Amino acid sequence: METELTKSTFSCKLGILSRPDGSAILSKDNTTVIAGIYGPIEVKLQKLLIDKASVECHYRPKSGLPGIEDRMHESIIRNTCEASLVASLHPRTAVLVAIQELQNSGQLISCAVNAVCLACLHAGIDMKFMFGAVTCFSNGVEMSLNPPAQTHIKAVFVFVFDSTEKRVIASHTKGIFTKEQFEEAVELCRSGSDQVFDYYKKVLTN
Amino acid sequence: MSVRKTLISNCEKKFLIKNLSEWTRLDGRAFDEFREIQISFGKDWGSCHVSLGKTSVLAQVSCEIQQPKTSRPSEGVLNLNIELNPLAAPHFDTGRQSDVGVQLNRLLEKCLKDSKALDLESLCIKMNEKVWSIRVDLNVLNYEGNILDCASIAALSALAHFKRPDVTSDGEEFVIHSIEQRDPIPLVLHHYPVCVTYAVFNGGEFILADPSLVEEEVSDAFLSVGLNAYKELCGLHLGGKAELSTDLILSTTTKAANRAVLVVREIKEAIEKDAEKRLKSKECFNMEHLFNDLAAMNLEKYIDPWAGDGKRKKKKSKEKKQEEVTTKMDVEEVVQVANIENLGEGTAALIPINEKDGSKIWEISDEDDDDVDDEIVVVEVPKPVVDLRDVATDSEEEAVIILNADKKTNKKKKYKTKK
Repeated sequence: METELTKSTFSCKLGILSRPDGSAILSKDNTTVIAGIYGPIEVKLQKLLIDKASVECHYRPKSGLPGIEDRMHESIIRNTCEASLVASLHPRTAVLVAIQELQNSGQLISCAVNAVCLACLHAGIDMKFMFGAVTCFSNGVEMSLNPPAQTHIKAVFVFVFDSTEKRVIASHTKGIFTKEQFEEAVELCRSGSDQVFDYYKKVLTN
Repeated sequence: MSVRKTLISNCEKKFLIKNLSEWTRLDGRAFDEFREIQISFGKDWGSCHVSLGKTSVLAQVSCEIQQPKTSRPSEGVLNLNIELNPLAAPHFDTGRQSDVGVQLNRLLEKCLKDSKALDLESLCIKMNEKVWSIRVDLNVLNYEGNILDCASIAALSALAHFKRPDVTSDGEEFVIHSIEQRDPIPLVLHHYPVCVTYAVFNGGEFILADPSLVEEEVSDAFLSVGLNAYKELCGLHLGGKAELSTDLILSTTTKAANRAVLVVREIKEAIEKDAEKRLKSKECFNMEHLFNDLAAMNLEKYIDPWAGDGKRKKKKSKEKKQEEVTTKMDVEEVVQVANIENLGEGTAALIPINEKDGSKIWEISDEDDDDVDDEIVVVEVPKPVVDLRDVATDSEEEAVIILNADKKTNKKKKYKTKK
């Protein structure tokens, strides 16, 4: 199931862990993440929702205790999953999403989101659509989907798209940029998301 | 209320015990057979992934400079932190540590920290002011039984693999050199202790090595032994409710010692291989090996043995015979004495070697150990063990024995019983 796209360096393997219902390891450009999904499972009383399943997300950094940035990753992934999963099918249950960082060389958020989507697909949990995250870099003048060699990066954008209509589900930005640059970045990432969804298909059909 | 862990039903329990009485295990292993270890290293120094069968643990060592403890002004600090990630099992909670987590942490500390495996004095930069603090983060990725063994191997391999940045000082200022400026420095390990766990059934009737998840749940008690490659005891823990006889503990510990030697050899080989790989290609690591290792994990040997046909069984029995032969051989070469090998320029290494004569390393005796090198202290454990049995009758208590196996300070032999 290990495939490599010609242009990007994705590699992935599904079902690497035996305990979770669905699991995936995804590596892109030396950033590696393991994601696992349990669900629907028993819910904690304080998180019980009577009309739908509650989505819990746990993100673990490689070393040290989870900090503020890790909590932010958690919230991005949780919001994305809440949008994508058909939670109303399983009221009074929980879906547990656990992510473990293995190696970080940048673009961690998009790698984690994509790994979670692959884990969801492997778990066979009901989804309204697939989601794919793309990172884009700006040096103030030009935009690129690949990290530029020089370190003159002015802004980093991460967008998560759905697979059906290519709408933006989540966005996360860092740095200084204009409104036009933001819009340009959305369009660039949208076109880049095709590659991600193609990769999903390749992984699943192999 | 939190997510409860899956319980083992009575029929599963009975089935397992019945199988044991027919000398078979659910996964087809022999009683003293361990699952396969796979060690792989990541791109960063001190990043290590270890899988023991399907159980897998990720270890990452990190370092920072801090003030030393006032009681030990010239020693660095070692912290071990095991995290039961909800990825491994849904009932593992983040946030505060569970009882299991605390126990695992303590057992690992006993094995690695209290046995003084890491040379803390070499981590001192300036007395009373600055020392290195080494932190080992262990993340359990998949829980299929026997986390302790897997975590101890992961922690030890990560420590052996880790390199800290070099620090120089001109008396006033300290400069931390980046990896590009100066070669990083590996940690100094005096010896390599690992934990070996056995599960005890029916009050000592069956003793299984490396229990799987179901076996762990059904077992009465478990015996964890911390040992290094010189077969020195670095910690012993008997938890649960079983009254083990002295002989049984001794024979199990001897078996564990043989296992420890093999494990340590495997760790050292893995580290050597990694060093070679790094020398050959300075390209970045893609954790490609991890993919391969994990792929190998799903191979047929881990398929439910009941799904197998007759052919498989035959093969199994053959394997088992071979296994018996190998274990017998292991028993024969029990006494292992370390040799001192000169590496030139004022350095030497203690190399454990196999010797064929002699049968046991731990015996209730006060014989002279003529055939043993002077460098090695043979640890005698009769007294503590007797005490241990007394304690073990009470299920609520746990016995802890720490034998200081330091080679130079022979007299420093102590043990304590903790409640």
